[in-house]
Amino acid sequence: MLRYILKRVALSLITLWLLVTIVFLMVSLLPSDIARNILGNTAPEASVIAFREEFGLTDPLLQQYGRLMKSLVTFDFGQSWSTKRPVWGMISAPLLRSTKLAALALILTTPISIAAGLIAAKYRDTRIDRAIVLTGLATSSIPEFVTGALLAVVFGVQLGWFESVATFPPGTSLIGQLDYLLLPASAMAIVYFGYIARMMRSGTIRALESDYTRTATMKGLTGGQVMWRHALRNSLAPTITVVSVQIGYLFGGIVGVELVYNYPGLSRVILDAVKDLDLPVLQVAVIIVGAIYMITTLLADLVIAWLNPRARLELGQQ
Amino acid sequence: MSEASASSATTSATVLEQADAERKQARRESWRLLRRRPGFIIGMVIVVFWLVCAILEKRITPYDPFTYTTKAKLAPSADHWFGTDKIGRDIFSRVLAGARDVLVVAPPAAVLGVSLGTFVGMTMGYFRGRVDLVLSRIVEAFLALPVVLVGLLVLSLAGTSSVLAAITFDSRKVLVIYVVALLFTPIVARTVRAAVIAERDLDYVTSARLRGESATFIMTREVLPNIAAPIVVELTVRIGYAIFTVSTLSFLGVGVQRPSPDWGLAISEGRDVLQAGIWWPVTFPALAIATLVIGVNLVADSIQAVYER
Repeated sequence: MLRYILKRVALSLITLWLLVTIVFLMVSLLPSDIARNILGNTAPEASVIAFREEFGLTDPLLQQYGRLMKSLVTFDFGQSWSTKRPVWGMISAPLLRSTKLAALALILTTPISIAAGLIAAKYRDTRIDRAIVLTGLATSSIPEFVTGALLAVVFGVQLGWFESVATFPPGTSLIGQLDYLLLPASAMAIVYFGYIARMMRSGTIRALESDYTRTATMKGLTGGQVMWRHALRNSLAPTITVVSVQIGYLFGGIVGVELVYNYPGLSRVILDAVKDLDLPVLQVAVIIVGAIYMITTLLADLVIAWLNPRARLELGQQ
Repeated sequence: MSEASASSATTSATVLEQADAERKQARRESWRLLRRRPGFIIGMVIVVFWLVCAILEKRITPYDPFTYTTKAKLAPSADHWFGTDKIGRDIFSRVLAGARDVLVVAPPAAVLGVSLGTFVGMTMGYFRGRVDLVLSRIVEAFLALPVVLVGLLVLSLAGTSSVLAAITFDSRKVLVIYVVALLFTPIVARTVRAAVIAERDLDYVTSARLRGESATFIMTREVLPNIAAPIVVELTVRIGYAIFTVSTLSFLGVGVQRPSPDWGLAISEGRDVLQAGIWWPVTFPALAIATLVIGVNLVADSIQAVYER
């Protein structure tokens, strides 16, 4: 197990390094006069040159790359161009708020999706199954911000059940915040329902068709016992993988939902940075979200390996 | 090696003809199965409806989607089925015309992404070894990148670049196509790589290699037709995701620009009057996106089910 963990972590670190390099290359190979664009056409040439000097835009690429790597390795993350504040200071609080929203979405969606997947598998090819599969297909294909907008219209504006603006006043209690966060979190929960339910369904069907399930049925266990003790445990592995992948996607898709509800999360920082061409902020935001995705998939792989020795073997053979 | 000796009796041209005939037969069979699926029919009806809107655009809209009037923020009525927006444009007309914006961007982006991805995936799967090892790591890293965030990053920067302006013919839409295609390439490559690996050790590839065919020939004439099914499935799925991504980017303000009737853009414009109870500028474009992606995904799902039966 230890060897597996070390190998898997090493692979993740290589991928993370590649990810940083890809982002750096994308940013620096886009041939643009960014200083001129930030300062505007009317800015005097001298201030454009001063800007380039100040942020090292005239340095050789390798040197800029080294600076980025150094700032990431030391968790310093550099300085914003527009506010001149440290990037981490600008990102950390909104990132935490986005995490809260994402966590709520995950809490809402995971149990319901797993239950729906199990039910669909149990009543395979009946009307119930088809209804669940079709609902999942429909909801997971609609962009988060569209679902969010429709929920805001129906439950926020028309029915008035929940707040359709997610900026709660400071000092609101955790329960009180729910009132504001429930709609945006539901929008994301609805989108991810389809992915998780589908994976759970196919995993359970595979488990139900396997030899060990037949053995369990033959030795006289009831349907419920077979489901809980044998099928569920084995169909969880692909579901854990898909949930972990969704955690990464949650942070990618959250931007649209946050904008619909005016939620002061990551989206606000990112969209401001887009407006001001605040490259350091954008770059770090993309890298952090990518790193979150990689950490969650890494953790999922470790959990699966811990549950199932066969998965450990597979990586060993690669 | 019985296949190799059989093919030496006939010429390789007739073998290819036979294979073509078999594939045509299989295609007819798939088409017959597809037509029997209600999901496919419903999906096609929705997709064709929006395609017709995209093609006819102003010719079928009751009002001009771009002219603004003094009749702002009117609720849906017999005159304006979906109401009017905050500068008095007819929303029904704008929703119909908005189909064009998403349909000229998303499907080409998917086609370009799948083509590039097929090329990369085939290279990885066919040559294996070090090429595959390196490319696989890069693909892995790309997959961790949040598509929408990278889209935001690249599109906001690209707006400032003169070289990019040249290769995109100064069109925001072409730029969005490139960005989305590029983001999809690694995802497609991974699927195609898996399909190629399943094929590359089969007898027909070996015998082609023994005949002394070049790698290019084997990949394009032998392997490619046999992995056409997963590629078609991938393409339909990607079209769905492309619509998803393109409309999200428009909503966030880095995609198609004003005064385009694009649906994502329309939702973002209607957002600030939503709090005042003016729900129609947001609702109808949102429903338009929802129906189009559901339609595309119903079609994609049916094609997948038929090919993977």
